[in-house]
Amino acid sequence: MDCGTCETAPVIQVHAPDVVDVELTLTEKATDMLEDAFGDDRSHALLVGVLSGGCSGYMYDLQIVESTETPCQELNIKGFRVLVPTASSHLLDGIEIDYVDRLMGGGFKINNPNASASCGCGESFS
Amino acid sequence: MGMVRHHAYTLLLQGQDILSFINGLSTNQVDGACTTVFTNRAAKIVDVCEVIPVGSHVALVGYEPSKSTVIAHLAERILGQSISLTDISELNDVFLGTDDESCPEDTTLHQSHFGTMYIIPVKHRWEATWTEEDWTEHRIRNLIPYHGHEITSKVHPLACGLGDLVHPQKGCYIGQEVLTRMRSRGKQGHRLVKRSNPVEKATTVGANESLMLERIQ
Repeated sequence: MDCGTCETAPVIQVHAPDVVDVELTLTEKATDMLEDAFGDDRSHALLVGVLSGGCSGYMYDLQIVESTETPCQELNIKGFRVLVPTASSHLLDGIEIDYVDRLMGGGFKINNPNASASCGCGESFS
Repeated sequence: MGMVRHHAYTLLLQGQDILSFINGLSTNQVDGACTTVFTNRAAKIVDVCEVIPVGSHVALVGYEPSKSTVIAHLAERILGQSISLTDISELNDVFLGTDDESCPEDTTLHQSHFGTMYIIPVKHRWEATWTEEDWTEHRIRNLIPYHGHEITSKVHPLACGLGDLVHPQKGCYIGQEVLTRMRSRGKQGHRLVKRSNPVEKATTVGANESLMLERIQ
């Protein structure tokens, strides 16, 4: 295979979506659960990201991090630091983070007005 | 035996975690060289691609008419990851055939679902040893589906003889829920079969036998 001359082959320009200023909301239940998780220590942040894959093409990725090397927008919501990667901002603007308390499929749940569909488990959307 | 020219595109993917990126978007377990299928949410085929690690990069070889669709499918899911795509289709000729063909030293050989794949730099001006008719008869004899015949954007992989490329136990990928449901309920709709001529609704017509996607009763 000839890939030694890759410099002469055209690199396909991948159009990066426009970065939008993200607005997101936390429900009362989600706020309570985050308060339990963070306690009084607010040095950490909630990273709300999107990964490619999943049944519908994109998967939510929630992490508690101290910092990240990923370029992010930093929001302060109800006293919590929330980080949203700029590359995913167009997919996450307007989301509501909720917490569902049930035995099966419980946990943080994201209601996304940008999603045209989501998979059965709710972790993936398109 | 022989080889036929494959109407292929070749993309070189460079960056981090390329195999896991492809794995998250396609039906097979992608942790090295393999054939895998990109599907949409309805589990219909976007393209069937060869995944070929090349040093620290990965070559993706697919069917030329699907190139722009696949690029769009991948590009919108890169999401800030450091992955770049380079089109090296013009630098290489791609052939499919049996594994006993002579070829230049700098050929990349790959065991594809369709047979042995030869990726040969264009400088060699390599020529096919099979005609399209030879390839058609070989496919019918060995029940090999092919692009534009059995493999189209209107079918899902289980219905056109690509069930081996749908890994039963891997995690989520686009279209996985649909394919898993079909398998668990035993309702894949159609299957690839070989029948003696004449065959109504044949997808590939040979001299004596043909391939078709037969509805499962």
